[in-house]
Amino acid sequence: MVSAAVALLSVTLLSLMAPLQPARAKSERIVALTPFAANTMALLGVRPKAVGQTLGGDRRLKPVLSTTRVLPLSHPSGPNLEQLAQIRPRIVFSSPRWAKGSEGMRQLGIKVIESDPKSLGAVYRQTKMISRVVGRQKKGRKLVRRMRKQLRKQTRGIRRRPKVMLILGVGRTPYTFLGNSWGGQLVKQAGGRLLTGGATASGGFARISDETVIAENPDVIIGVPHANTEDIPAMIEYIKENPAWSSTKAATNDRVYVSTDNAMLQAGTDVAKVIGKIRQNYLKNR
Amino acid sequence: MGAVTAGGLRRSAVTVFLLVALLAAVGASLALGAVKIPLHEVIDILTGKDAPGPATQIVEVLRLPRTVEAILVGAALGVAGAVLQGALANPLASPDVIGVTSGAGFGAMLIILLRPEDLDLLPVSALVFGLLAAAMVFSIGFSGPSGGGVGRVILAGIAIASMFAAGTAALIAAYPDRVPSGIFFLVGGLTSDGWNSLEIIWPYFAVGFVLAAFLVRPLDRLMLGDDVAASLGSRPRAIRLTAAVAAAVLASAAAAIAGLVGFIGLVIPHIVRLAGGTNNHTFVIPVSALGGAALLVAADTLARTIRAPIEMPVGPFMVLLGVPVFLWLLRKVV
Repeated sequence: MVSAAVALLSVTLLSLMAPLQPARAKSERIVALTPFAANTMALLGVRPKAVGQTLGGDRRLKPVLSTTRVLPLSHPSGPNLEQLAQIRPRIVFSSPRWAKGSEGMRQLGIKVIESDPKSLGAVYRQTKMISRVVGRQKKGRKLVRRMRKQLRKQTRGIRRRPKVMLILGVGRTPYTFLGNSWGGQLVKQAGGRLLTGGATASGGFARISDETVIAENPDVIIGVPHANTEDIPAMIEYIKENPAWSSTKAATNDRVYVSTDNAMLQAGTDVAKVIGKIRQNYLKNR
Repeated sequence: MGAVTAGGLRRSAVTVFLLVALLAAVGASLALGAVKIPLHEVIDILTGKDAPGPATQIVEVLRLPRTVEAILVGAALGVAGAVLQGALANPLASPDVIGVTSGAGFGAMLIILLRPEDLDLLPVSALVFGLLAAAMVFSIGFSGPSGGGVGRVILAGIAIASMFAAGTAALIAAYPDRVPSGIFFLVGGLTSDGWNSLEIIWPYFAVGFVLAAFLVRPLDRLMLGDDVAASLGSRPRAIRLTAAVAAAVLASAAAAIAGLVGFIGLVIPHIVRLAGGTNNHTFVIPVSALGGAALLVAADTLARTIRAPIEMPVGPFMVLLGVPVFLWLLRKVV
């Protein structure tokens, strides 16, 4: 009798507690257009129904996502909305760059959440936000702790702080990454002194002349080609052999590097790893 | 009498041909896309027989509004070009000439590059700056001691267009990382965003089309020359101003939805005149609307299906479809 009463009480309590538990995410109905959202979901143990295909971004996807459906993205809407409607997602993690497409997604009854952080602080905040949305808050908090720990480890023991110019190559026009850009913040975290020629812009990039590059005389130049995959080799050659930069310390010491993936352009969950790579391969300050 | 009948038959044939072309293009636009939906299912959806599901959403929320937008934008640009060419008596007149295109481009890029989080404002901004550019051109072109004139309108249009184009170029240079989002607008293209844009812009299309309808006969009288038109009770200056306002409203509304689609406004009225063998605006204006709509719907269908799921800008496809017809007519008729 007593055991029956206890069992009944347990069932009642459990049924009362159930709504307080985070709902288990229906992974099959979430689409992650940014590599950050896709990888965060993977790290939280949730598999999106589809992921977005960005220039260079696919190479950063976690192996567990290798068999996930890939949606090609193009300006201005991002994914093809007909394909997206066919998948019938409940939620799409998108980016402000696909804002035009977000309007269409909402018309399809899809909840659109922007998730493409632009700063380290935003990486942590958005990791927690994604974990809430997919119902894995505890794992989310753990993940953020781990990311912070890894970052501390990678930014420890910086002895040299070389002057770094981070250049975005669009065609043959150089733009410098500013302190408020994603790449700029990574370089600073890695111990580089980011040179910008005094330029400021809310967008995080500013057009500079080759004269500015020479005047700033950086110790290290990191070029980030922003082009279609097939145009990248020509851009690498242009950045590495640019005669206008030949008098800089970076060129004379053979320290002009090229970063071909989009790790400097778009935030990912691998912040600490990217910073480690910048220190090891470009800044050489480990 | 026989010649009149032959001319009438020719014009009827052109009208019927364009009507059939438009219907075929609309059918293709609703039936084709990145996701294959059988034609009978599309018909069931449109007639309300099909149950709600992804296919219904695709047709009702994505394809149908886009097709209606393409019809309206194509018709608006065709009419704007026909009205301007008639009013300014200049075969090269088009919405570009009165600065609308450059103004709308600047307005759109302001939002895309400076306020990407407020993209809902894009159609409004494009419309406002398109109309602002046209207002500047008209105030310079039709004012002053001599009362202005067509030549001054065209020159003012070129200057104002250059000014807004320079502003757009400056914005592009300042925000390189955001430029890809704006390229689609600059080269012209429709997007699938439901009825949102049309809900804001449709009154401008309505005003523009009504004004153009009222201009049909006055523009015919204007073709006889200003003196003859005045002797018939018309006011050439008022007609030109009204025509310019109608064209500006239509072209700005079109740019607000589809970006800078330049080809239709210039070439479609010429194709219609050449094919129909008449400059009569009772024929040229409505048939330019049909032709513009048919061309844009067909080109947009090609643009979003040829490399599906990637969508291409519509401009090159309009040129691909329209230029051979135009050159063939030019060689055959002129």
